[in-house]
Amino acid sequence: MKEKKFSNIRSYWNRPNHAAYLFIAPAIFIIVLFVIVPLVSSFVISLTDMDIFMRDIKFIGMKNFLKSFKEERVWNAFLNTFKYVIISVPIQVGMSLVLAFWLYQSNPFSKAMRSVYFIPVICSFASLGIMFKMFFGSAVGYFPYLVSLITKNGVPSFWTDVRYAFPLIIFISVWKKFGQTLIILVAGINSISETYYEAARIDGASRKQIFAYITIPMLWPTLSFVIVTTLIGAMQVFDVVFVTTGGGPLNSTETIVQYIYSRGFGNTYDLGYASALSVELFVVIAVFTLLTRRYTDKKIEENT
Amino acid sequence: MKRVRVTDILEKAICLLVMFLVLFPFLWMVSMSFKTDAEIMSFPPTFFPKEFTMKHMIAIWDRIPLMTYIKNTVIFAVGVAFVSVMIDSLAGYAFARMRFKGRDRIFGLILLTMMVPFQITMIPLYIETYKLGILNTFVGMILPRAATAYGIFFMRSFFLGLPVDLEEAARIDGLNELGIYLKIMLPLCKSAFITLFIFVLMGNWNDLLYPMMMTSSTNMRTLPAGLAMFVGEGLTEVGPSMAGAFISMLPLFVLYCFAQKYFVQGIAVSGMKG
Repeated sequence: MKEKKFSNIRSYWNRPNHAAYLFIAPAIFIIVLFVIVPLVSSFVISLTDMDIFMRDIKFIGMKNFLKSFKEERVWNAFLNTFKYVIISVPIQVGMSLVLAFWLYQSNPFSKAMRSVYFIPVICSFASLGIMFKMFFGSAVGYFPYLVSLITKNGVPSFWTDVRYAFPLIIFISVWKKFGQTLIILVAGINSISETYYEAARIDGASRKQIFAYITIPMLWPTLSFVIVTTLIGAMQVFDVVFVTTGGGPLNSTETIVQYIYSRGFGNTYDLGYASALSVELFVVIAVFTLLTRRYTDKKIEENT
Repeated sequence: MKRVRVTDILEKAICLLVMFLVLFPFLWMVSMSFKTDAEIMSFPPTFFPKEFTMKHMIAIWDRIPLMTYIKNTVIFAVGVAFVSVMIDSLAGYAFARMRFKGRDRIFGLILLTMMVPFQITMIPLYIETYKLGILNTFVGMILPRAATAYGIFFMRSFFLGLPVDLEEAARIDGLNELGIYLKIMLPLCKSAFITLFIFVLMGNWNDLLYPMMMTSSTNMRTLPAGLAMFVGEGLTEVGPSMAGAFISMLPLFVLYCFAQKYFVQGIAVSGMKG
C-alpha cells in the first residue's frame, strides 16, 4: 500500500507539467523571499521611525518623506547624482560607441584592444579606489606631478578641491566601465546582418555614412538596452564615491546612495528614514527609465 | 584612397592612446608596490623603480587580514556562483522547455524583478537576515543571491536554442524529467554554465555595498569590503596600500587571462535581452 502511494507521488511529479513547478520552486522561493518581500517591506518601513534596535516601532505616516524634502543634504545628494548621470552616461556610451565601430571586427588589433579595455571591468572599485586615490593624490601621485610640470604652479591637490573631485570621480567610473559597454555594443554590431553593409558598399557609401545610416539605426535595440542600464546603474552610483572621496569635500561628491548608506548603516541608524530615501530613489529611477525607454522605443520603431 | 589611410592611422592612434590610459595607472601601481619608501617619497617621482624591494608585498599581509579577506571572498563568490548556476539553470530549463500553467506570467514577473534596484531592498534584506539569525554568516551572504532573474533569463535563452525534440526521445525511453535534465541537457550546456558562473563570480567578487552591509565583523569581510574599510583608517602608507590593491586584483586577472572568452560572453549576452 505504502509503496503504491509512493509510486503514485512519483508519477504525479514526473508528469512534465507538474515537474516544472519543482524545477522553478527553488528560484521562486529565493526571489520571493529576498526580492519581493523586501521590496514590499521597504514601502512599509519608510512609513515608520524604525532604527537599528528595532524596538518601539511607530507608524509616522509621511513624516520621513516630508522631512527629507526639507533636508538640504538630500537635495544636494540628488543633484550630485543627476549631475553624475547627465555627464557620465553620454561620455561612457558615446565613447564606447565610437570605439565599438572602430574595433568590432575580429582582427588581432581589435581583439587586443578589446581585451585590454576590459581589464578595469574585472577589477573591484575598492582596489581601483586605493590605486586612484594615490595616483591622483598630492602626496605621491603621478598625475598631479605631470600637471605641475605643465602649469609650473606646484603640485595641485585634486581630491580636496571642490572643483576637481567630481570630474575625477566621473573619469574613474567611465575608465572602469567603458570596456563593458564596448563589449555589448560590439556584440550588437556583429549581430547586424552583413548583407546591409554589402548593399551599402555597392552603393558606394563611405565608412562615415555606413556608421550613420546603417550601424546606428540597426543598433538601436542594443543601444536602448545600453543607455537604460547605464542610466539605472549611474543613478545608483555608490562604490566609486565611497572608496575615493566618501562624499567629500564638503559633500560635493555625495550621491544619494552614499547618503542612504551613511544614514542607514554609517553614522546614524535611521532605517525608516533611509528607507524613505530609497523609495524616493526607486520612484526617480522608474520615471527616468520610463522616459528613456519611451524615447528609445520610438527610435527603434522609426528604424525598423 | 590616401585619405582613408590617414583616418585609419588616426583611429589606431586613438585606440592605442586609450590603451595607454587604461594601462598607465596599473603600471604605476605595480611599480609603486616594489619601490623603496625613500623612492616613493622622492620628488620628482620616478616611474620605474630604481631599486626593487619585496618589503611592501610582505608587509601588507601583517598590516591587514588579507588572507582572511581572500578566503571569505572565495567562499562567498564561488558559493554564490555555484548555487545560483544550479538553481537558475533548473528554472531556466523549465521556462524554456516545459509547458505548465502560468509559465509566461511567472517568467514575466521574474523579469520585472530585474528592474528593482538593490538599494530599495537593501534595508529590509538586512533586517530579514538579522531576524533569520544568518546576518554575518556565509549562509546569510549566499542565500539572498542564490537565484537571479538575469541567470534564469540567460539559461532560458540558452535552452531555447537547443533542438526541439531532444527530450521527446528520452521521454519515450522512459527517462523521468530530472533524468532528462541531468543526463541529456546538462552535458550540452557546459559552456553556458561556465559563462554564467564567471559572470556571477565576477559580480560578487567585486561587489562592495552588499557584502559590506551583510557582514559586521572583520573576520567575515570580503576583499572589497575589507579594503574599502581600510582606505579611510589604518592603511595610509603608500607601499603596502599599492601592494594590497595589486594583490587583490590578481586572482580575477589570472582567471581572465585563461578564460577571457567566458568573461566577455556573459557581458555580451546581457545586451541581447533589450
